[in-house]
Amino acid sequence: MLASTTTTNPIWMPGGDELAYLGPLWALVATVVAVLLGALAVGRNWRVSAGIATFGGLLTAWLAYRGFSQAGFTNWAGMTPSAPAAPMLVADQFSYCFIFLISVFMVLVTGMWWLGQNAGLPEHLTRKQDSTEFFVLFVGSAFGMSLMVSTTNLLMIILAVEMASLPSYGITAFRKKHNLAAEASLKYVLFGAITSAIMIYGASLLYGQYHTLDLAAIGRQIAAETGQSGPTVLMGVSLVAFMSGIAFKVSAVPFHFWCPDVFEGASIEITTWLSVASKAAGLGLMLRVIAVLTCNLSSPDTLEYVSLAIAVMAAITCTWGNISAFRQTNLKRLLAFSSIAHAGYMLMAVAIIWHPEFGQTDMPAHPSFSALVFYITVYLMMNLGAFGVIALVYWSTGKETIDAFNGLARRSLPLTIAMVVFLFSLVGLPPMGGFFAKWWLLYALWEGNVVWLILVAVFNTLISLYYYARIARAMIFTDDGQPTVHAPISGQAAVTVCAILVLLTGTLSAGWLKDFSDNRSRGLYAIVRPVNQEPTANDQLDNDGSEEKIAEFSPDGGSEFE
Amino acid sequence: METSGLLNWIIFIPMIGAIVVLFAPAKQARSITLATTFLVFLASCLLFGPFLNGSYHEGGYGENMQFESKVEWIHVGGFNINWHVGLDGISFPLIILTTLVTFLAAWASWNFEEWKVNRGPKGYFSLFLLLETGVLGTFAALDFFLFYIFWEVMLLPMYFLIGVWGGPRKEYAAIKFFLYTLAGSVLMLVALLAMYFTSADVLGGAGTFSLIEYATDGRLQSVFNDPNKTFLWEGWKFGHVMFIFLFIGFMIKVPVFPFHTWLPDAHVEAPTPISMILAGILLKLGAYGFFRVCYPIFPEAARDLAYFLAVLGVINILYGAFCCLAQTDFKRLVAYSSISHMGYVVLGCAVMTDVGFQGAMFQVLAHGISSPMCFFLVGVIYDRAHHRNINDFGGLWLAMPRYGSMATLGFFASLGLPSLCGFIGEVWVLLGTFNAGSVHAEFTWAKPMAVLAAFGVILTAAYILWMIQRVYLGKLREKYADFPDATARETAILFPMAVLAIFMGILPKYTFDLMNGTIDDVLATMTASLSSVSSFAFGG
Repeated sequence: MLASTTTTNPIWMPGGDELAYLGPLWALVATVVAVLLGALAVGRNWRVSAGIATFGGLLTAWLAYRGFSQAGFTNWAGMTPSAPAAPMLVADQFSYCFIFLISVFMVLVTGMWWLGQNAGLPEHLTRKQDSTEFFVLFVGSAFGMSLMVSTTNLLMIILAVEMASLPSYGITAFRKKHNLAAEASLKYVLFGAITSAIMIYGASLLYGQYHTLDLAAIGRQIAAETGQSGPTVLMGVSLVAFMSGIAFKVSAVPFHFWCPDVFEGASIEITTWLSVASKAAGLGLMLRVIAVLTCNLSSPDTLEYVSLAIAVMAAITCTWGNISAFRQTNLKRLLAFSSIAHAGYMLMAVAIIWHPEFGQTDMPAHPSFSALVFYITVYLMMNLGAFGVIALVYWSTGKETIDAFNGLARRSLPLTIAMVVFLFSLVGLPPMGGFFAKWWLLYALWEGNVVWLILVAVFNTLISLYYYARIARAMIFTDDGQPTVHAPISGQAAVTVCAILVLLTGTLSAGWLKDFSDNRSRGLYAIVRPVNQEPTANDQLDNDGSEEKIAEFSPDGGSEFE
Repeated sequence: METSGLLNWIIFIPMIGAIVVLFAPAKQARSITLATTFLVFLASCLLFGPFLNGSYHEGGYGENMQFESKVEWIHVGGFNINWHVGLDGISFPLIILTTLVTFLAAWASWNFEEWKVNRGPKGYFSLFLLLETGVLGTFAALDFFLFYIFWEVMLLPMYFLIGVWGGPRKEYAAIKFFLYTLAGSVLMLVALLAMYFTSADVLGGAGTFSLIEYATDGRLQSVFNDPNKTFLWEGWKFGHVMFIFLFIGFMIKVPVFPFHTWLPDAHVEAPTPISMILAGILLKLGAYGFFRVCYPIFPEAARDLAYFLAVLGVINILYGAFCCLAQTDFKRLVAYSSISHMGYVVLGCAVMTDVGFQGAMFQVLAHGISSPMCFFLVGVIYDRAHHRNINDFGGLWLAMPRYGSMATLGFFASLGLPSLCGFIGEVWVLLGTFNAGSVHAEFTWAKPMAVLAAFGVILTAAYILWMIQRVYLGKLREKYADFPDATARETAILFPMAVLAIFMGILPKYTFDLMNGTIDDVLATMTASLSSVSSFAFGG
């Protein structure tokens, strides 16, 4: 189908079904345009902008959700004429899942923003007048993040990372008279620019060595090369340089320095958005890149280098984040370090891509992809909830420090109970969802045979308890007589629903969510091929008999080796 | 079996009560809590009949579980996590103890308004009931994963109960308790993972979390006790590492030296009813963990490490007793005496004989009766005097005759006076230790260890008698002369514990009858595993 058109035609034209696979991405782009046109049509109205963004987000989520029902759904689109087998964009269950989560989260953050507009903050903080620009940037960054999780092409990766980063710089500094916000955005830009430069340098080195932009093809060549002569220095340098750009999005140590400042400087909705969505996209991309690059590797030495390097980075990220959080008094900053620590836990899932069952066509759900999906889903809810409570308290008191939470148990019991659930879910205590997120992660680590990383993870759980408990202590143990918090009912209801969901994922729905995650991590592009085999039309994963959903490769699919 | 539902109800009634308390008017909180705990206590008493009629001395370990219920919980991605609860001779007495002590502690919270006016009763009582669910679930769980979940569920309520309603240094005590216990449970989590995946490898397909299967399945046992299987590091035997991880997790809860330091702090800061629960029930969870998890599943490691465990037990007994002698804070003294008494449990377990195990288990129950009683006795005078300085009291018996008699009884039970409950447990443990050399030839250290531990009895007598002399005897001080005697409520709380202390001391047979069958089963399982492993290791 697709492949035949692309080989005969020098100019690539997407087919109809190919465009349909990209439906969620189209929906996001359309939302950006609709926000702009809406402002032209009805004038600047923040309700209209937010409404369009909400509708666009829900539409995207629905389109992505529809993809879930197609079992074993795996597609790739946009094959370039020079290398027909190399897709520009990948649409599989995993990418759809992330687009789904990102768009749902976009809607939720929009709701939070809406509440913030009604909270009676001064105009220079809310900037209602500029909501059109805000939503263009905001939805634009969501589009960039969605692109990040649905590609394995070097060029597309760079474009996607930039598409996600540039609007983020803008919305970080959206409170433009706020000194901290401007400082944060400047730091973000400088840091982002440098890591992007390094990443592009790495990508160009890779392209120079392997003459293709397709990571799967690069992975096969690396496998062939290391099989003969072992890894080379150039290979290592180019990969590390390339990965540093993604590590920046994930805020892995040592690329994390922007994170606390940006989280503190940005308004609270944006902090919430960046803390989950940006990291989710970065982790999804990193997992996919590493998996695609290493899935054909047969030399255990090389695998062990890659795995060990990521494992060490994960361990350091996690520990560093947790220890740095100890002395923070600003809650956004504290949760910034907490999010670095959680990125560390999730990076651990990346360290075990060399699962022994790797590359088997009848492979069950990939444990690390599954663990990541589960973790991100729970993390989304608990972090949204925690930031939601902080936002409600901030709108009522104007403070974001731990002091603002003193005596919250008396000032607002529902918020306190919800916050306790979120905090101890972030620690990873049962019966909250955070425990199961950690549990499946530890399970994946065990399957990947890295027991030392399990010990690092549980040790970090222990030390993280202290600073999360500090917030609980302020809320419940100390009381300095601050007035009652008057949070809007809608806000209270929202965090309560979040808390109930977090509790459900830790008890009754834990199995269901695990099942969901397993289904999202089957049939991933390029990593389900038998080891060291040329791709042919027949060895594509065909788990559940979704016959015509699989694109064919052209006979000269291996032309990039020449 | 229709009684299986009853156990599930017993576990969840407190949780339902906690939710009701949360939505009921604050004034009703204490009545609802008292009613709930009493209901749970009555329901657990209903278990007596079926339990005694059950065939609990036929079949091997795990085959005579009563009130068993098993429901699939999480069966995806190669996991087999079940809701699996049931009672046998080890857990049944502890369930009864829990419901009784919690009921009495709820009653002891009746004057809540007097000791903390500004803190809402709703939070206190709902956390209190949540704690009971956690404890009952842990005692009843037969699925290791479920056990772990309930084990952790207890942490949060306890943290807040100490931290909000405690004394001056409550925050320090609460977070210390939390961190210590969580440190133990993360080690337990690693062991949980390792055991599950080992079982998946051995059994093929999905593994098992069943605590019974871990102990009785021959294939699993031969792997768990395989001296050639290593974990983490070259030369670290799998069974040993697992045993140590689990043991540390449980010994923090017991607590065993050197992880005991959270206990005096937690006790001193916690309000009286919470101290009763902490000493009477929560410490028992650690001991229960030894019986249910450590010993049946890793007998080979237990035998190899017996010497160290016995040393720890003896240190606990003697060190705890010496610490008691140095205390001037009444509550701290009782807290250290708990450490000393729990040392007998560790020693009784360590020697791995039937008498030792029975003694340890009996000591668990006896201490579960005597220590809440002692803490409540301390609480009664703290409510009146608002201090706990032992040297500042004197002649209280004269002012409060009824209370004084009860106090003497309670502290003598703790001391181990013959014909009271403390005596039987200690003597059984010492006998078991003394005799251990004849059961396990390699335990040559057992006799000296028993002699050393026996000194604990003298020290215990010393600190308790000295304390009684300073607090209750002597000349009545002026300022205490008008103290009212124990009220009807206080007497009624003390009475059941006093009766049980005497009953268990005079007729220990009935208590032993409840648990001996299961203890024999556990030992039989351990012996079977050990002999098969020995032939596996040396005979081949």
